[in-house]
Amino acid sequence: MIQPSKTQTIIVYSSAITLGLILLCPVLWLFIMSVSSTKDLTTLPLQWIPEDISFENYIKLIGDVDSTSAESFLYALRNSLIVALSATFLSLCVAIPAAYSLSRLPGKRRKSLLFVAIATFMMPPVALVLPLYSAMASLGLLNTHIALIAVYCGILVPFTTWLLKSNFDAIPIDLDEAPLIDGANRLQIIWHITLPIAKPALGAAALMAVLMAWDEFFYALLFTNDIRAKTLPVAIADFAAGRVADYGLISAAGILATIPPVSMAYFLQKSLVSGLMSGSVKG
Amino acid sequence: MTALSLKNINKSFGEIQVIRDINLDIKPGEFVVFVGPSGCGKSTLLRMIAGLEEISSGEFWIQDRRADQLPASERDIAMVFQSYALYPHMTLAENIGFPLRLGNQPKEIIEKKVQEIASILRLEKFLDRKPGQISGGQRQRVAIGRALARDPKVILLDEPLSNLDAALRLEMRIELAKLHKQLEATMIYVTHDQVEAMTLADRIVILNNGEIAQVGSPLDLYTKPANTFVAEFIGSPKMNLFPASITEGHPGETKINLIGSSSNLMVNKDIEPNNELHLGIRPEHMTPSDEGAIKGIVTSTEQLGSDTYIYFDSETKEQAVARLNGITAIRTGEKISFDASQEHYHLFSPGGDRIN
Ligand SMILES: Nc1ncnc2c1ncn2[C@@H]1O[C@H](COP(=O)(O)OP(=O)(O)OP(=O)(O)O)[C@@H](O)[C@H]1O
Ligand SMILES: [Mg+2]
Repeated sequence: MIQPSKTQTIIVYSSAITLGLILLCPVLWLFIMSVSSTKDLTTLPLQWIPEDISFENYIKLIGDVDSTSAESFLYALRNSLIVALSATFLSLCVAIPAAYSLSRLPGKRRKSLLFVAIATFMMPPVALVLPLYSAMASLGLLNTHIALIAVYCGILVPFTTWLLKSNFDAIPIDLDEAPLIDGANRLQIIWHITLPIAKPALGAAALMAVLMAWDEFFYALLFTNDIRAKTLPVAIADFAAGRVADYGLISAAGILATIPPVSMAYFLQKSLVSGLMSGSVKG
Repeated sequence: MTALSLKNINKSFGEIQVIRDINLDIKPGEFVVFVGPSGCGKSTLLRMIAGLEEISSGEFWIQDRRADQLPASERDIAMVFQSYALYPHMTLAENIGFPLRLGNQPKEIIEKKVQEIASILRLEKFLDRKPGQISGGQRQRVAIGRALARDPKVILLDEPLSNLDAALRLEMRIELAKLHKQLEATMIYVTHDQVEAMTLADRIVILNNGEIAQVGSPLDLYTKPANTFVAEFIGSPKMNLFPASITEGHPGETKINLIGSSSNLMVNKDIEPNNELHLGIRPEHMTPSDEGAIKGIVTSTEQLGSDTYIYFDSETKEQAVARLNGITAIRTGEKISFDASQEHYHLFSPGGDRIN
């Protein structure tokens, strides 16, 4: 390993710290808001460091189960978890074989299929929302998890397929042919060879999918109308929609809402490390 | 032990035909080597036998079963890839045992088999490592080990030793020859190293541009090359081909004129007169002689210790080469002349085919 020079080290570290600060500042501010009193937040000039720290907002959201804000927050959390995880799981179930076939199997028309899939991903939601809404309405699916899961799968499948396909493409074709010779069928190849090798990509795809579903606001706002199906972004927006917006409460909800995806990212980070390919083929 | 048979096999990629009308019968337990220059279709032919590449036309038989439509997994043919193709996420033991695991064998049997193969290939110490943590030669052996796992009746090897250094190559070559005896499996081996081909093969198939140039035992190919391509391909340094003509013949005797030279060579055979022949003489069959018919000026010499290669511009052909035993004192610029005894003459027609 070549020893980096001192200036190089300084530049790298200071850039990293700057980037980290830029990314973390809003979160830090969100946190400060969530533990400040309403008075501190509304005085001018702004009170950057709150005088007294209180976790009252958090208690309102998850401690005091009978309050209306806790009810809407906890139901929204449950709905978000169900919708995001199911949509991700279903999308991956479809995207894995789809990506494999696009990457490995012959045929010119497959390539245009991928293009169509990506094109649907590019389409703005506004273009689709009306027909989707009337379809859901006539199926009686409005304000249900299924409606959101179905719509999110429509968004996630093209995205995850494309992401996985480009990763499968990087795996040498020999690693498909060798198991074929060893007596494996296509599904066994995917299960025993392709997926374990593409584990980092799979983790990344799952994480991105969960995040996209977790953050989605537009369809969730239109297709849900009460605690049975409202997801977190909608619920948080509801807190802001009253006569007086309780910034502290909104911030606390925001902080809590980031915990599930962040912890998921934390646990997946080990599998996100790449470099699994080494030693497989010569050259 | 399994026999394979290829009948009128053709292969095209789109417009480009890469395999042309191959007919070949491979006997049970035979060690067949495909050789040929790069791009001549060796790998493609092997992949068609393995079932990885579709056959465009023709028939492929395994024993007495038509197999061109049989999926690769059902052919019971193992293959060692040109690139090893080890599974990077599995330990060596898992790599070798993978074909057995697919066959739903019980754990103990897989373990036993893996141990057995590891001891044949001297890999016991590394079984817990992953492919990224071993050397190239060891990877090579793992790739062979994986091919052996299912006790296949046919093993295909695509340039398995091409990535190893010379010493390891020699060692693995001997190892492979031993394995072949031990396993009694039919083996097809692709290489472009003619030493590997000559030492390992029961029969060599020489491919040129998608066609079989000649099939035969290593010595057949050496002593009776069917055409100029084979003549030049087998043997190192390659055979000298001198342009020659035959103008007259007496019964039982023919005079060969080397073009551009006044000297003649006599053979005790009847050969039709022809103006554009090639006379082939291997470098090792050229003996220096003061009265020799092949005269020239030495342009360079290579001393290998055991042999000396003498490159010279002869009257008939530039850059001819002779191979003499031991160390010689011949210098660049010297005049030199060679003779060869007539049983070492190879005559080829203008089209390049052998004339007997
Ligand atoms: N998938 C393919 N599509 C088109 N042409 C191909 C394909 N695979 C091989 N070819 C062509 O077929 C010919 C034979 O290729 P092949 O790989 O069999 O050569 P080879 O004899 O194994 O060469 P080498 O000694 O370099 O490995 C080459 O000209 C190659 O360009
Ligand atoms: Mg090849």
